[in-house]
Amino acid sequence: MLVKYEFLKILRKKSTIVVMLVSLLMTAVFFALPIIQYQTYNQDGVLRGIEGIKYDKEQYERISVLLTNEYVTETIEEVKQLFENPDNVGYDGQEQFLVDDAYWNDIAYRESLLNMIATNFAEPNVTVGYNNLLSADTSDGADFYQARQDKIESIVNEPSRELSETAKEYWLHMNSKVETPLQYGYFEGWEVIISCFELLIFPLLAICIILCPVFSGEYQAGTDAVVLSSKYGKTKLTTAKTIASLLFGLLAFTLHIIAAFAIPLAAYGVDGWNLPLQINGTAVPYPFTFLEGTLINLGVIYLVLIAMIGLTLFLSSKMKTPYFVLIVVIPVLFIPMFLSPNGTAGIYNLIVFLTPYQSLTPNFAQYITYQFGSVILDSFTMNAVVYAILALILLPLAGIGFKKRQVG
Amino acid sequence: MELRLQNLSKRYGTKYAVDDVNVCLTPGVYGLLGANGAGKTTLMRMICGVLKPTSGMIRLNGKKIEALGEQYYEHLGYMPQDFGFYPDFTAREFMLYMAAVKGLSKNKAKKRTDALLHMVNLSDVADKKIKSFSGGMKQRLGIAQAELNSPSILILDEPTAGLDPKERVRFRNLISDFAKEKIVILSTHIVSDVSYIADTILMMKDGRFILQEPMATVTDGIEGKVWELFADERTAEEYSRRFAVVNLHHENNNSVRLRIVSDTAPSADAKTVLPSLEDLFLYHFGEDAQVEGSEN
Repeated sequence: MLVKYEFLKILRKKSTIVVMLVSLLMTAVFFALPIIQYQTYNQDGVLRGIEGIKYDKEQYERISVLLTNEYVTETIEEVKQLFENPDNVGYDGQEQFLVDDAYWNDIAYRESLLNMIATNFAEPNVTVGYNNLLSADTSDGADFYQARQDKIESIVNEPSRELSETAKEYWLHMNSKVETPLQYGYFEGWEVIISCFELLIFPLLAICIILCPVFSGEYQAGTDAVVLSSKYGKTKLTTAKTIASLLFGLLAFTLHIIAAFAIPLAAYGVDGWNLPLQINGTAVPYPFTFLEGTLINLGVIYLVLIAMIGLTLFLSSKMKTPYFVLIVVIPVLFIPMFLSPNGTAGIYNLIVFLTPYQSLTPNFAQYITYQFGSVILDSFTMNAVVYAILALILLPLAGIGFKKRQVG
Repeated sequence: MELRLQNLSKRYGTKYAVDDVNVCLTPGVYGLLGANGAGKTTLMRMICGVLKPTSGMIRLNGKKIEALGEQYYEHLGYMPQDFGFYPDFTAREFMLYMAAVKGLSKNKAKKRTDALLHMVNLSDVADKKIKSFSGGMKQRLGIAQAELNSPSILILDEPTAGLDPKERVRFRNLISDFAKEKIVILSTHIVSDVSYIADTILMMKDGRFILQEPMATVTDGIEGKVWELFADERTAEEYSRRFAVVNLHHENNNSVRLRIVSDTAPSADAKTVLPSLEDLFLYHFGEDAQVEGSEN
């Protein structure tokens, strides 16, 4: 009963409705932008928006293949052969590329696949185009997976990563679980979702804004004395306020997630949900599909949300007005947007990766490592642990803050 | 039932808002009088358990209220001074919400809400949002919520402040109806409010009780100290500067009738009159007093 009324109190405010509508609109626009701005080309010119997406999706049907070493070798050979005919080759002063029919008939439809293969054979942390396939050695057949393995070993051995032997072993062991050969296919919708996760900082802020008055609003309105002198004012009411806030936060955030995911998935389709993350970057060591990767990151984001609700409620129980709560919450959420990590090691970087904003972004190929003795945690696990602990501390503290409130 | 305040103090920095208060309260209406800043609200907040005393304790039937916890709050109904509402709630929703916070069952909450809204004459507007209510309607809703759990201790802090005379009379009658077999503490600086309904007067000054007397005998101590006299306007001004003037009335013949509280006769032709609670208030608080009792 109390939860129902507390939920109603949150929902009834005009500010709740306004903030929610603005936030939902912003989220919808942010996640729709890649669709609106989408453009691709064919020989006839540029194709925009849904038309472009439809065209590209059709092209992918030709390259939904199992990436066996044989297939990769054959593909590289085909590209090399195209480059052997000087009529097919253009040069911009820096590098060669294919032109005219050679490009439009044999490259364009599979350019992203060719780029991915070329990047797999390139140096770590470098993205290259299909023209780099010219340098790939296929004399004994290309070993796509050995090249991938070599690359991952190079990455974990990079001195700048400062990884211990245990950490290296941890990543290599994780990578060994990636099933090969990889299945290639269309995954654009999931790529958009994964690349837009950080935009969920806005719904997160909106929810915090709405929840700022949960406790401090009572102090500001002068209702604290009445509720705190009632039978359940210092007991069940604080629990009810916390539950109602969590309930509201989770429902509101889920509504945003539905809007955010539904828009790209409606435009691009759900295709690719069961494809491995590696087809979007072969250095990814996580043995997950796009759907699994998305859900895992989403799980972490929900923990961030719960912890931020905890922080908001804690501050709300301690501060006299909701405005003071906002003065603290907004910088906590937004200052990390301006803190760029300059690597993946070192205290500064490891802390930056733990900030709420950075925690929203999935770091699938960055090998971010937190080591405590012999225990290794990747960024997903570390974020999950940190925010779960914060939530477990802050939510009860919010209740205690309200119970101990001195009306004066 | 016995509510005992023992050596109760509240200090802010070096200043005592409530200073070593001792009193034993049994069922009855207690009029807590004092000038603004005398410590009335601080005392009431401590009794309601929303402000921790610096020292001393409050016991209900011999048990510390901290130890009683929810059991103590079950007995309590509180209407604080200037207390707020949830503007987006209707009167009924607010009452049902408060009933839930007070631990009433759903059925009982509904019954008590209907009965109390009727009692405070808010049935017609029960489903209107509180933000559309006048000050008087909000005050009535305030006392209705305090009564929801049929408390045996009812604390009302300045319940009539800001009300017009008609509302105040209605409010006093409501309090009298609710007061049966309860400990009712009614804090006000409007003397006339308590003079009608209080059984006992508790007078606070500088955080201390300076008087605890039954209403019937509360003015006995100043008998022979309240004077009435007539003077011209110029002399009346002089009296106003020198004495505590309770009332000043301009007569038709350009003279002024003065009511003065003073240990000694202000003039040879001054006559003693029967003292009232207002006289007592002014006697103790002098220039600090803000007597608002002339409306009745």
